[in-house]
Amino acid sequence: MKRLLTLSLAAMMAISIAVPSKAENGDLKLPPYKKVKLKNGMTLLLMEQREVPIISFDFIIKAGSVADPAGKEGLASLAAGLLRKGTKTRSADQLSAELDFIGGQLGASADNDYTEGAAEFIKKDLGKGLELLTDVLLNPTFPQDELTKMLKQRIDGIKSAKDRAQSVIGNYFESYLYGDHPYGRSSGGDERSLAAITREDVVKFYQTYYTPSGTILAVVGDFNTAEMERALTEKFGAWPARQMPAIKLPDAMPFKGKKLLLVDKPDSTQTYYQIGNLGINRTNPDRVYIQVVNTLFGGRFTSMLNTELRIETGLTYGARSSFSQRRVRGPFVISTFTRNEKTEEAIDRTLGILKRLHEKGITEEELKSAKNYIKGQYPPRIETSDQLASLIAELEAYNLDASEVSGFYARIDSMTLDDARRIIKQYYPIDDLVFVLIGKASEIESIAKKYAPKIDTKAISQPGF
Amino acid sequence: MKRLKRAMSLAFAILFFTSFASLSRAQEPDIKTHTLKNGMKILVQEDHSIPNVALYIFYRIGSRNERPGTTGLSHFFEHMMFNGAKKYGKGKFDETMEAAGGSNNAYTSQNVTVYQDWFPRSSMELIFDLEADRIENLSFDPKVIESERGVVASERRNSIDASNFGILSEQLWAAAFTAHPYQWPVVGWMVDIENWTMADLRHHFEMGYSPSNATMVVVGDVTGDEIFKLAEKYIEPIASHDPPPKVTTREPEQLGERRVVVKKFAQLPILMMGYHVPETANPDYYALQVLQAIMFSGQSSRMYQRIVDKDQLALFVNGGSGFSFDPTLFTINAQPKAGVAPDAVERAIYEELDRLKTDLVADQEMEKAKNILLATFYRQMKTINGKANVLGSYEVFFGDYRKLFTAADDFNRVTKEDVRRVAQKYFTEKRRTVATLIPEKLGQENSNQKPEGRDR
Repeated sequence: MKRLLTLSLAAMMAISIAVPSKAENGDLKLPPYKKVKLKNGMTLLLMEQREVPIISFDFIIKAGSVADPAGKEGLASLAAGLLRKGTKTRSADQLSAELDFIGGQLGASADNDYTEGAAEFIKKDLGKGLELLTDVLLNPTFPQDELTKMLKQRIDGIKSAKDRAQSVIGNYFESYLYGDHPYGRSSGGDERSLAAITREDVVKFYQTYYTPSGTILAVVGDFNTAEMERALTEKFGAWPARQMPAIKLPDAMPFKGKKLLLVDKPDSTQTYYQIGNLGINRTNPDRVYIQVVNTLFGGRFTSMLNTELRIETGLTYGARSSFSQRRVRGPFVISTFTRNEKTEEAIDRTLGILKRLHEKGITEEELKSAKNYIKGQYPPRIETSDQLASLIAELEAYNLDASEVSGFYARIDSMTLDDARRIIKQYYPIDDLVFVLIGKASEIESIAKKYAPKIDTKAISQPGF
Repeated sequence: MKRLKRAMSLAFAILFFTSFASLSRAQEPDIKTHTLKNGMKILVQEDHSIPNVALYIFYRIGSRNERPGTTGLSHFFEHMMFNGAKKYGKGKFDETMEAAGGSNNAYTSQNVTVYQDWFPRSSMELIFDLEADRIENLSFDPKVIESERGVVASERRNSIDASNFGILSEQLWAAAFTAHPYQWPVVGWMVDIENWTMADLRHHFEMGYSPSNATMVVVGDVTGDEIFKLAEKYIEPIASHDPPPKVTTREPEQLGERRVVVKKFAQLPILMMGYHVPETANPDYYALQVLQAIMFSGQSSRMYQRIVDKDQLALFVNGGSGFSFDPTLFTINAQPKAGVAPDAVERAIYEELDRLKTDLVADQEMEKAKNILLATFYRQMKTINGKANVLGSYEVFFGDYRKLFTAADDFNRVTKEDVRRVAQKYFTEKRRTVATLIPEKLGQENSNQKPEGRDR
């Protein structure tokens, strides 16, 4: 009855997974994969990677926290978390025991746009692994006691997170930036919205949105495509077809002018802050060029922000900027932190760097450096089977395709300084800015007033974000 | 549009299913090794799956080599290694590497300081030039030192002051060790960060940064020969000198439980405990790892089942110990839920530990634990980066990277009796320190809280 994994560590070391290989023209090429649409509308993506006896799954349910009813924020996330907490034939304990016994991984969570889950098994355990994956996706029962347990956990989890400014500042920023727009809701919910969720809500969410037509399942690893297609068709083909209702998601409007939220955390020795506005959506045609400019502005160690705030002045441990790409415009955010007494100097310098980006732009040499950097750092991001599964599922969910990878280098190479000037003007806000500061209000409130005509304040212990 | 040939062969997949016992030396992955004349050892594994390379340099110096007054110096020094040398002046190390498509980081622990470079194959020679320059000719510019002092102070505020877990963990180690240098935080006490001198820095460099005190590991789209050639050209001419003085301090035997309380503004309490356990190279390491998996790995683990799931006492519970040269702590951390007293969580943890000391674990549980350990191991080695880190860590902490290839056997040899024996031996009241963070209400807090490895 030995069920030890017969993995030899020596063999593990000898394994090289993946794969993005270089095509002759110097561009990367995604390994080929097959797309299958089942009769019930479910999408399968199958990519063989036979070198390593591991199989990685990634599934996307096309409903995330944007589908949470107002006042019940956190519902999508809770439904995802509860998938492995009980099915028609297995208790939560049984699911965990069976999964842990084969050293497998299986879990799901929800972000703004979608619910995403991942699983990984050794090839010899594929039968058991697939059984568990199918069971949690098709037969979850959302037991009341497990729901009650998880709700308590998550409400306390928010309190715990609020003890660390860095882990919650993004929640405050998005809530303040987006207001009533669905992206203003915290994916994980808050202390009040979670408390309002009932089992009926979870069951209804599952029945409404977990539908074959709203589901993408990507599989990458050591299998035969025809056999895997047959196995998955058998397992998921029986899932009754249901139409997933469209989730309305209006575009958000950028904030005009300046506003600032100060969250009082009285034990703070540093001020944590984010500054930004609306950025871009996932399919914005300028997304690669924006990535190039942002690499220089706040996307790597020698970026303008990190150079000014860390390398030159020692004001902070790190400063960065990012554009998160979603179905509709996601946030553009600059974020960093500094000690209480240096709050004003750091914010002034941050705004100074933004101004300098607009006035001076970037140089030919910087442009070349950023292009090399992005290309040099990309292959390790699509190195393993789980990374590839997640990537192809995500491309499918956003109606993108393999050219996102195969055309990536060429797109980077095509960028000119004129393009950079246009990108800066069009996508980097300068007069319209939203500020969120978490820190010791008694020491920084007077400084905060300088940056916006309108100031809002909150205590960190106040429920919500 | 042809894909490049990959080195990976089906043979490895077949190997994968071979039982440990049947694995002979000949089947081990091909690790090429070479020791330079100045004493630096180099390990190379060819892996052509992506056109990239991971290069690690492990220096055997960390916060255990420090003294009161200059705590945190190893970590500060790690930062300084990026701030300019002779050929590549201030800011040029990062600027040059990034422009060539590379990135880097570094981490310092109680035991080692590790530098990491990730780059496309095309910039390989440049990386050697950059590394050699800073190993040989690091510059000490007073202005740069002052600026970097601010960065490290900010890092400390972020990871300790602004993190209740950071604060409490620091206090736990400070109480558990009275003589041995594991008592101070890797980042250093704030007052020491403020007071390092140029002389301290120079001394540290001279002490720790001899090529003979370092091991280089390279994994990726390279060959052993080309790496050795580059190393001979760039690194070999750098002279070696004496390694850091041996750390002779041994922590005296603990004679009774120690307790620490931290009171500060917080929404939830925290409970941490530390039990004295032996160093990584000790034979009991493997049994302790199996014990760790049984107690803490996965939602079916004993501690999760009891503390988080059944009794619903805590938000999470975890435990384990890291690689170390000297006897260290096996720490257990839990965050009590709102309204649950930390001592209720503490009692439940002791009951689970006691159960392990009296009853042998089931066969099924032993097998599960070993499966989890192996799967975890595998996941660490999926990438060229993970392989470089694991290879180097084994070479440094076990004294031989080949221990990696017998680790599966070593785990497999652990018996139920071994697990019970190490539970009885190490998880005793006398060997433990318990630290609790008790939330204080708004307005009562003291904003200047006093007081682990970290990235750059």
